[in-house]
Formats: sequence, C-alpha cells, structure tokens
Amino acid sequence: MSQLTLFRLLLTYEWWHFRAARGLVLLTGLLLATGLYGIYYGTTEIERQRQHLATLPELTHHNVAELQQKFPDSADAGEIGYYHTTYAAHHPDAWAALSLGQRDVNPYYVKLRLLGLQAQLYATDNVNPVKSLSGNFDLAFVLVYLLPLLIIALSFNLLSSEREQGLLPLLLAQPVRPALLVGAKLAFRMGVVLGLAWLLSAIGMGWAGVPLDGRVLLWLVFVTAYALFWFGAVLVVTALQRSSAVNAVALVGTWLLLVVLIPGLLNLGVAAARPVPQGLALTIKQREEIHAGWDRPKAQTMNRFFAHYPQWRDTATIRERFVWRWYYAFQHLGDVSVEPLAAAYARGLQQRFVLVEQLNVLSPAINAQTSLNALAGTDLPTHLQFQSSARAYHDSLRAYYYPFLFRQVPFTHADYAREPTHSFTSQPELPTAYRGLGKLLLTVAGTFALGLVLMRRRAISPR
Amino acid sequence: MNYILEARELRKEYPGRLALRGLNLQIAPGEVFCLLGQNGAGKSTTINLFLGFVAPTSGAAFVNGVEVAAQPLKIKEYLAYIPEQVMLYPHLTGLENLSLFSSLAGFQYKEPELQAYLARAGLSTEAARRRVGTYSKGMRQKVGIAIAVAKHAKVLLLDEPTSGLDPKASNEFSELLRQLSAEGTAVLMATHDIFRAKEVGTRVGIMREGKLVDVRPTAALNAHELEQLYLTYMHD
Repeated sequence: MSQLTLFRLLLTYEWWHFRAARGLVLLTGLLLATGLYGIYYGTTEIERQRQHLATLPELTHHNVAELQQKFPDSADAGEIGYYHTTYAAHHPDAWAALSLGQRDVNPYYVKLRLLGLQAQLYATDNVNPVKSLSGNFDLAFVLVYLLPLLIIALSFNLLSSEREQGLLPLLLAQPVRPALLVGAKLAFRMGVVLGLAWLLSAIGMGWAGVPLDGRVLLWLVFVTAYALFWFGAVLVVTALQRSSAVNAVALVGTWLLLVVLIPGLLNLGVAAARPVPQGLALTIKQREEIHAGWDRPKAQTMNRFFAHYPQWRDTATIRERFVWRWYYAFQHLGDVSVEPLAAAYARGLQQRFVLVEQLNVLSPAINAQTSLNALAGTDLPTHLQFQSSARAYHDSLRAYYYPFLFRQVPFTHADYAREPTHSFTSQPELPTAYRGLGKLLLTVAGTFALGLVLMRRRAISPR
Repeated sequence: MNYILEARELRKEYPGRLALRGLNLQIAPGEVFCLLGQNGAGKSTTINLFLGFVAPTSGAAFVNGVEVAAQPLKIKEYLAYIPEQVMLYPHLTGLENLSLFSSLAGFQYKEPELQAYLARAGLSTEAARRRVGTYSKGMRQKVGIAIAVAKHAKVLLLDEPTSGLDPKASNEFSELLRQLSAEGTAVLMATHDIFRAKEVGTRVGIMREGKLVDVRPTAALNAHELEQLYLTYMHD
C-alpha cells in the first residue's frame, strides 16, 4: 500500500474519531458560531460608523441653513467661523469590519470650527470605558485569540490519548511510520481548523463586501500561517511525549504567555520606553495660551501672528476693543504654542507603534493582530494619518476664512458652498502586513523545525 | 534451516537493570515457542525487541531474515502482535477497529470478510457491531486475535494472550493457534500458563533473570514434568 493511500486512510479514521468525539464537534461548532458573531459584530459596528458618518454632511447643511437664517444677507466671516461647524470624517475601508483595530478607541470623525485646532482634535465623544475595556469581538479577535484554543482542544492529546488508552502498542506493531501517524493526525486537525478559518473568512469577506484584490490572499495566507504556528507548537509538545494533562497545561500555558502575558508586558514596557506627552497637558497648555491672549496687548499678539502669516502684515491696525481677526490670531497662536507638544505626541505614538512592531516577533498573537489591523487600515498609523489630514483640513479652512477676516470682506450665502470639504478613507498599511507575514512565516518554520528535530531525536515510545 | 525469528546474543540493559543477557533463539515457521518465566524474567523485553519497540544494547534480532533494528518498518509486515491487554478505540465498533488496524497493515476488507475474521476469533455478529467501549476484556482480546489473523502474518508475537479469556475462549484460542501453526505461522508466546504452553507449544523456553535457562520440546514432557521443571528453575 502506498504511503499516500495509507495517509488517506489515516485521515478517514481521524474523521471517524472526530465524529465520535461529540465534545470536539460541539467545540468546533461553537467556534463557528463565535466567528459568525464576530463577523456580525464587526460589520454592524462599521455599518453604525458609516451611518453616523453619512449624517455629518446633513448636520453641516443644517448648520449652514441656521446660519443663513441668522444672517439673512451677508455676515462677518468671524461670526461664521465661530458658529459654523464642519467635520473631518475618517471613512472605513470595507476590511475594517473584519478587524476593527483602533476604530473603537480613536474617533472616526472630528467636529471642527475655525477656533484653535488642538483642543478640537482631542475633544471626542464620551465612550463607555467598560465597553472599551472589553475590546472588539470581531473576526480578527476570534481568529487570533480563540482559534488557538480550538487547536489546543483538538490536538493536546494527539498521540498521548492513544498511549494512555494502551492503543499505541497495537498501532505501532503495524507497518506504519510513526511520523505518518502523527502527520495524518495533524493534517486532519489542520483541515478542520483551516477549513473553519477559511469558511469564516470567506463569509466575513462576503458580508463586509471587500473588494476581491490581493488582500484576500494576504488575509488567507496570514490566517493559515498563524494557525500553522499553533500546530507547530502542538508538534513540539507532542514530540516531548508527555501525558495529555501535561500537554494541555503546556499548550494552554503557551497560549496564556503569547496571547495574554507578553502583550500585557509589552504594552507596559513600550509605554515606559517611549513616553508620550499627555493629551490633556497639551489641551491645558493650549487653553492657557488662548485665554492669555485676551490680556495681551493686541499689537504683540498680531506681530506674533504676522510672523507666521506675513501676507496679512499690511492689513489695518486693530484699534477696536474686539475684532474677529485678532480673536482668531490668538486662537491660532494657541495652536502654535503647543506645536512641539503635538508633534512629540504624534511622534511618540508612532515610535511606540514601531517598537511594538519590532518586538511583535515575541508573540505571534500581537504580530497577527498588528498585521491584520494594518491590512484592514485600522491601525495606529492610519489614525495618525487621519489626524494629519484633519490638521491639513483645518489649515485649509483658515486659508479660506482669513482673506475674509483680514480684508474685511463680507461672507455671503454663496461662500458657504465654496468652503473646503474633507474626506479621508483608510488605506491598508501593506508594508506592515507583509513584514508581519515574513516574521510569522519564520516563526512557523522555526517551530516546525524544532518539532521535527525533537520527533527525530526521540522515537515514539509505545508505553 | 531458515528461521522466521532469530535472536543473536541479544542483550538489553536499562539504567540500573540488565533485562536480557545475550539471548540466542531460533524459531522455525509453524513452530509455537512458549516463553515461561516469572515477571521480570525478560519475556516481554524479548517480544518488545522483536517488535522494535526497544533497541537492543547489543546483539541483533531478525524477523524473516531482516534485522529489526535496521528495518523496523519492514519487519512489521511479517509480525502480528497481541498484547496482554488488547486496547482498542472505544468509540468505534469491533468491525471498525478491525477495519482500521487491517487497513494499516495493508489489507482492506469488506464487511463480510471482517465479520468472518471476528467470528473466527469467537466474537458474535451482534457484538461486532457494538462499540468497543461496551466490551469485556475477553471480547477485546478476541478483536485483537482477529486483527492478528486478518494480517496474515508469518509470525505471531503473543504476550499473555489468554489472560482475561474464559476457559472456553482460551480453548478456542488454542485451537486457532494450532490451525495457524499448521498453516506455517510461527508463534512466540510469553505466558505464565504452563498447561496452555504444553497444550499448544512445540517448544517451551524457561527464562530467568534475562537468560533463557532451558529449552525443551513439549512432546518430550508431560504437563506434570513441565510444571516440575518450571518450579525447579523458579526456586533455585
């Protein structure tokens, strides 16, 4: 009988064993149900965000209508800049439904007026902190955190159950390579787990309506490699030929280490190694600077402002008690005063991300989560890009309104329509995802190599 | 003469214990060789060495002229093994277990053939369709025998095979061994059962502290003489 025929037979018998083990069938079904819930959760959350984002232009139009009613003819642009609200919106990529990443903790839109930017950038809606603590239950969560538990449940007694049941002597007395036995057992379990992971991925992709591009393959390869890593860990533990109980403890311990402990420690370590200025400190400093603007001599404020905008230096000297251009000048200077802090904040977050990416080789779970978020455009760099685009948008609003303010041109109803608009849609961070995949493949190769070496060094004992 | 089983100066040492001290043994096709001896005498170690389950410290074991240590997979094509406690997959039926182990041995039988092997081993059709988890030790032993017979092995290695079988089943087993022996199958059986050894064996070997201390043809001894011989070696 050829080895291939024998392998096929062994797979058939593994199916018999699997079918008979009701608990495992139930567990597999449970993971399928959990995965479907994850898909539902992710797509519902993204749909909720989309619907919310879709209402923003309507809110702006409503605001404009109110202002047009309040100022029937024309108005001072300063009044409009003060009362008019507009939005910088962060539209999700379709993939975001499968891996929500930071879209729940970071704001996906920013409400803007012509005032100082920084405080507006960090003034987000209140979210339930308990909900933030529990995190996302999306498909990526199911695949990265729960799928390994199914692999462990299916495989912790890969050969030890036969040994403990006294079956190994009879099995090993047959002309079958022990490696083929182990290989078939692993292959069957891989078939079940990968079949489930691919099925969930396909359903998730269909449900989320992702475009059929290279990212489909990248996602599937990543999920496959991640599952293979855990099967590699199973192979290593199996090769040590300990009891089922020891195997279970070793594998669950590995899961705890890689999925819970290392990520937690890494979080603390990275926060200590790359300190970031507090967003609150930045807001307070900006507010103090703005409030101090009321008490400073107007000439001093304007001269500092003109250093940044020399094109308005020749505009009329301010003699009035209050004019909008002076008001916006010290609002602007409030932002300028915290620019180094804001830059340090963004730089610090980016550095943290880079450090986590460098160290994620310590935990395939972090690597998988980082990479899937990058693939879905829901990671920190994407959020920083959105913030950067929001800053640019606010700059464009200033550039639009300042000529009205400094040339003292009335703001007419027609000028609302000419106001700049903002749109930002997440883009995947493919280089991050590819780097993650490269590291994961190396980890998989290393784990399997270790397992195979251990298997070769120690023949399978029948007792 | 061509021997189907042969041990040449076979020695096995475990840490702190010498299990087998230079065993020399030859068994011809159709011969039923019974190894007698106390627990720890080296009977099971001898069987494990022929199965390739343990590696010899020195010397060599051969099955059908093939050295076990050199080709451990090849020799398993010639061997069938029935341990003292036949353990099977409890969630599969007797038929399914037989199908599984026969397939691994390279034989794919249809259900009537599987039923016939189980019936030959003494298992009823009704029992064959039940899950092995409901079986008694004796019933499992019968499935083990069916697995061995269905393999059409040149050699049977039996480690206390009748342990757990009722007298009727033991007699049926002895009859089966005689049939297989007549068909040319060699048998190496480790046992404590002197009378069974006398009944089915063509030769008996007495092991003590890892050495084969005496070998006699059973035809030259009656049961009483064999018992006396055994007790003599055990008490020296």
